[in-house]
Amino acid sequence: MEFLNRSAQRRLQGAPFYLLLSLATMITLVPIIWVFASALKSNKEIRENPLALPGEWRFQNYIDAWFGASFDAYFFNSIFITVTSVAIVLFLSSLAAYAFAKMRFFGNQILFFVFLFGMAFPLSAKLGPLLSLMYELNLANSRFGLILVYVAGSLPFAILMLRAFFQGFPQELEDSAALDGCSRFQFYLRILLPLSKPSLMALGIFVFMGTWNEFFQALLLINEDSKRTLPLGLTAFQDEYFTDFALSFAGINITAVPVIIVYIMFQRNLIEGITVGSLK
Amino acid sequence: MAQTVSAARKRGHGARSKLDLIPYVFILPAVVIYVVFNLGPVLASFFLSFFRWHLLAPTTEFIGFKHYDFILNDDRFWNALSHNFIFLGLAVVIPVSMGLFLAVFIYEIRAGRVFFRAALFLPAIFSGVVIAYVWKWIYHPFAGVLNPTLELIGLGAFTQSWLGNPRIALYSTFIAYTWASFGYSMVIFLAGLQDISTDIFDAARVDGASFWQKLFYITIPCLYDVFTFVITLRIFTAMGVFGVIYILTGGGPFYSSDVIDIYVFRMIGNYEMGWATAAATVNTVVVVCLSTGFIKWREWRSWSS
Repeated sequence: MEFLNRSAQRRLQGAPFYLLLSLATMITLVPIIWVFASALKSNKEIRENPLALPGEWRFQNYIDAWFGASFDAYFFNSIFITVTSVAIVLFLSSLAAYAFAKMRFFGNQILFFVFLFGMAFPLSAKLGPLLSLMYELNLANSRFGLILVYVAGSLPFAILMLRAFFQGFPQELEDSAALDGCSRFQFYLRILLPLSKPSLMALGIFVFMGTWNEFFQALLLINEDSKRTLPLGLTAFQDEYFTDFALSFAGINITAVPVIIVYIMFQRNLIEGITVGSLK
Repeated sequence: MAQTVSAARKRGHGARSKLDLIPYVFILPAVVIYVVFNLGPVLASFFLSFFRWHLLAPTTEFIGFKHYDFILNDDRFWNALSHNFIFLGLAVVIPVSMGLFLAVFIYEIRAGRVFFRAALFLPAIFSGVVIAYVWKWIYHPFAGVLNPTLELIGLGAFTQSWLGNPRIALYSTFIAYTWASFGYSMVIFLAGLQDISTDIFDAARVDGASFWQKLFYITIPCLYDVFTFVITLRIFTAMGVFGVIYILTGGGPFYSSDVIDIYVFRMIGNYEMGWATAAATVNTVVVVCLSTGFIKWREWRSWSS
């Protein structure tokens, strides 16, 4: 009897937490649900009753948005730029982090500090000369150029995170591999990378999100419609269709859905990427 | 040659050892890309702020502090910077404390932890562009959700042109920023909470500590380093806010929501590279001083106590 009372009491104590958490969840979810619902309404419905649910679901809005603007091109540009950037960042940062974590060489500390240095600057600190440089190298208005800029921006954090992870590897592992005649590159490829899969995954998803969502540098460096990424394309689309309410909502959703899918699939990796990077 | 041998002897090797090049091969590609496309432009921005130069013409002429003279006497520069400071002041209080409380609530409950964490973090996954457009529609004068809702609940007097009123436009953009950033602070706090030994909380429960006692005497002191990190992160995002404001107001109306990054971007768009780099350099100095000063102060405080 006493036990029951106590558990009931504890459950009651939790009630305010659930109430406040539910309120906060409404603040995050209601706008998103409202944008999704509005994309299924007609312009007339949106104008006359913005709060109502759609009368009939007009999926036509999505079709009009996709084919009316160049969302297919934006989408494939985003995929290409993001996936390539993530692959390059993972490869180069793991190589460098391995050297920084496990090898003794002249300049180790200083070069690592030079990378850390890059994390202390706001983005605007490099924009003017970066634009000038990209024109000089003929890399302005190019997807390849944007990839290089994104890779350069992600490397400091990636190296910092992987170095901390690699430092946790036991030295005996490398020593015994060396005794078996394993070169350092073979050790990196055959042992270090496979054993680091969870960390590489977390880092990869983190970099994926940041690159997929990037807007400022893309806005500066890309001005041809066929080369725009999704966030950049969405701004052009919104400027064009701002009076067509339903299409505007559909455009927002087309941009948001890929991120939501990645988030649902890799939620744990993403949050690990954020928190591991922060607490170490 | 003689030097190498003596260095090798010092290290205790009998035989001649040559310079080990493999580490440099491993770091070289990362260093090249990083220096050319990140660090180089940052340093160039600093040096070029003392020169007269143009985007495509490489002719440069040293003019000392002339650009700084212009920037520091430009009311719009100080106007933009002051808005970043308002943003920062609000950002270290509102999203951070929301994140802390929500993390504590999630920590206290049993069922539904994963759901609440995922749902509350959701807005943080979107591009600033998506966040801005969601809020542009929420604030829309008649097709939006905010004004009709206010009317519906009898607060019709508060309906507003949320983005068109110069007195509140900046705060309207701050709400959009907060919506997408408290979840970020929350997951970091939550990870920090899970690192605290549960023994402390169990002992507190046995002693009958209240929610607020636990918060002020256990949680907040134990999360000292996490706080430092979360607030440092806010310094960077608040001083570097761009996408959300660029799309919601473009810095307007009448520069009432202008911030440094929009100011710099506008200068670059006008090919005023000298002013852009000078303004960016001042902003960099401010951000670096704020963040390192804050971190040093936190370290000093934890040492001295």
